[in-house]
Amino acid sequence: MTSQIHDQVVIVGGGPAGTAAAAELARHGLKSVIIDEAPKLGGVIYRGPLRQTDSLPHLDDNLKRAMTALQTRYQAHSDSIEVKTQTRVLGPEGSNQLLLSDNSGLSRQPYAHLILATGCHERSVPFPGWQLPGVMLLGGVQLQLKSGLVRPGQRMALVGTGPLLPLVACQLHKAGVDVVGVFEASPFAKLAKEAVALLNKPKLTLSGMSMMSYLKKHKIPFKYGWGIVSAQGDEQLKSIQVAPYDSQWRPQRDLAVKVEVDAIGVGYGFVARTQLAMLLGLEHNYTKVSGYVPALDEWHQSQNHAAFVVGDSNGLLGADAAICEGQLAALRLAWQCGKITESQLFSRATKVKNKLARIKKFRFGFDRFSDRQPGLLTLAAPETVVCRCEQVRREQLDEAIAQGVKDITSLKMRTRIGMGDCQGKTCSSYALDYLHEAGLTENIGVIKPRFPLDPIPFTLME
Amino acid sequence: MKKYDVVIAGGGAVGAACAYFLSRDTDLKIALIDLKKPGNASRASAGGLWAIGESVGLGCGVIFFKTLSKLHSEAQGKEVPVMRPHQLPDCFFEFALTSNNMYPALHQEMLEKHGVDFKFERTGLKFIMYNEEDRLYAEQITEGIPHLADQVRWLDAEELKKEEPYVTDDAIGAIDFICDHQVNPYRLVDAYLEGARQNGVSLYLNTEVTSVIRNGNVVEGVKTHDQVFFCDTLINASGAWANELYQQATGRTMPVYPVKGQIVLSERMPKIMNGCISTSDCYIAQKDNGEILIGSSTEEKGFDTTNSLDKIQELSQGAMKCLPILKESSIKRCWAGLRPGTPDELPILGPVEGIEGYLNACGHFRTGILTSAITGQLMTELITGKTPSLDLTPFSVARFDEAEQKAG
Repeated sequence: MTSQIHDQVVIVGGGPAGTAAAAELARHGLKSVIIDEAPKLGGVIYRGPLRQTDSLPHLDDNLKRAMTALQTRYQAHSDSIEVKTQTRVLGPEGSNQLLLSDNSGLSRQPYAHLILATGCHERSVPFPGWQLPGVMLLGGVQLQLKSGLVRPGQRMALVGTGPLLPLVACQLHKAGVDVVGVFEASPFAKLAKEAVALLNKPKLTLSGMSMMSYLKKHKIPFKYGWGIVSAQGDEQLKSIQVAPYDSQWRPQRDLAVKVEVDAIGVGYGFVARTQLAMLLGLEHNYTKVSGYVPALDEWHQSQNHAAFVVGDSNGLLGADAAICEGQLAALRLAWQCGKITESQLFSRATKVKNKLARIKKFRFGFDRFSDRQPGLLTLAAPETVVCRCEQVRREQLDEAIAQGVKDITSLKMRTRIGMGDCQGKTCSSYALDYLHEAGLTENIGVIKPRFPLDPIPFTLME
Repeated sequence: MKKYDVVIAGGGAVGAACAYFLSRDTDLKIALIDLKKPGNASRASAGGLWAIGESVGLGCGVIFFKTLSKLHSEAQGKEVPVMRPHQLPDCFFEFALTSNNMYPALHQEMLEKHGVDFKFERTGLKFIMYNEEDRLYAEQITEGIPHLADQVRWLDAEELKKEEPYVTDDAIGAIDFICDHQVNPYRLVDAYLEGARQNGVSLYLNTEVTSVIRNGNVVEGVKTHDQVFFCDTLINASGAWANELYQQATGRTMPVYPVKGQIVLSERMPKIMNGCISTSDCYIAQKDNGEILIGSSTEEKGFDTTNSLDKIQELSQGAMKCLPILKESSIKRCWAGLRPGTPDELPILGPVEGIEGYLNACGHFRTGILTSAITGQLMTELITGKTPSLDLTPFSVARFDEAEQKAG
């Protein structure tokens, strides 16, 4: 493939958003390069098994269909799409290049146009025992099933909030795991209030209801208004304490119940993965649901940078929305490159925008239902580690705030929270919530990612 | 509207030190206003207290040596330019060494009175020699500082190996400046700020000074986005941004400008260094948490704080040459800071002729961490009307006016 530097489109992330953008660009005669850290396209959600297998009895038909659709979308345009898998973007290098790392070393990827589709990562909620082997995040549990084809545990419980809970519970059960309980933090009454919003996506709602009846049929307890208190075990998780949550998600500890398990999935939400966008200098604003997200126009193009940001990396709306956003960005770019006329742009975009609007109404219903409450911050005891890399305890945050720390950078400098190898991916959303809860809401800043986004072996510098 | 005796614009090492010393030694009502801008030097710093090292152009200053060394090798036996160490004037030595001597007691004081630990470590700074050219250079350095002979140790290859077993076998020896040490730079800034806060200083963090209030030749205060601060004295400690504030305060300009330095940081490693190191390529310091910090480039690129692969490669190669064990580790982070540079590499301190209510505490270039303590003390002396313990004439902004006049 010959790609001219002056029109080189580079897409970071080969999930639903990135692949949809590449396919849409190809339809309008624009070639692109997709860079993805995984061995296969599809993103975390549609990547599928990493080894060849015919039978996937634990995966539902919707998921299998979506995986196939993504592969088909790519295959139809594969002549116009170059895919660099198992390749990580370390950051910007100069003004129009990305620095990449793969098995063969470092390389530079020039770009004329950039579409970031970097997805999201899970929101970590520290509680006593959360570092025990066997305590996993819900997406990680699901990845073990979907891509690793391994059972994460024998006897499991799920705690958290949102539609992923029943889905993963069903998948675990189909995979042969003994699911002893699912604990949804929000009360059922709150979900019932969102009935109108959920009707925007009737199929999805029906599928959710069928999951609930699957759980009922297999006598898997699903408790609304309950959640995690703590986890116990020596070398390995042995049991958890769960308790009813009040409306602020504060556990009623006197009503706590012990559940014996060897693994749990914890899912209190996700955070947009914005490190690359931040390193590139895109402006970001804070949102409660997704953390910091880039400031974008209606075509998902940055307001202070030429880059587009699509999919969960600009706010969590899920895979269907990500596909729409990828298409919208691609259409806008095709128009900017003179490949389609303005009327072609609007006629095709209108349909996609309408679909996106319906998804948003549905999704916002769930966002309101799963709206994170301050009680979650009270789970960590003073001595609980809240930043794993630097082993920062909650009481150190308390001390720093009492001493007048008012922003996240000062908190980081004082306690080292967020200064570890993960660059704050694990702890910064907790730290932000913690500052907000302490009444510090204005100008508290952000844990700025640093170059390189992943460690580089010194030997690659020889 | 707020009224203070002293307002300090800038909360990096220098501004924070001013707040600490003023609040420790006086009863004045003090406010410190700070907004962290990308590239602020205190947070980008390595934290070396390399009083001699920096004064003779090592540490952060090796870039000058590299330039000279390159000229030297390119000459290839032809007319060889005399390679002289880049040595700063005596007034700077005195300034740096006086400040350096303050840290052991300051460290104790911060721990005992304020409960904060800025991780002062007695490390020395070794200049590692790889060849005869390096030895010649080291000899020139020591010849230039005969009065500091008792602070310099010569190590042969064997002695070096014993003290720094991970340094390459190719090293032929080292000179060690025994009074040069290190701190954790952000802990130091934090300690000053926390001490100042406990002493009653009002800290306005995350707050930007947007303009200076001036009435004729009198500076009366500053404005932020939503507040007005009146004061008797404004201290300009705004690092690489100091000229902007100076212009507003005086209507003149001074030559303080950003000099970019890129830094490479390793993953945490077990303790492999007993002291700080400078080579002809870079400086290397293992910090209190095990990370190894390698610095730093010297680039004049305005307020740009991006990292570039070429500089990161140069620094990494220089560090691996000295400490081959680094090849087993990874680069965890890189960043760039903006040193507040001046043409003669000396800071700009004290009052400005014809302007009342204003003091400069800026232009600290490579040594703001090291010289923050003495700067805080000097500013306190100036504000309380005492005779400064060091002669400030060489550091006055007036030296640039004179230079201009001479040139004119």
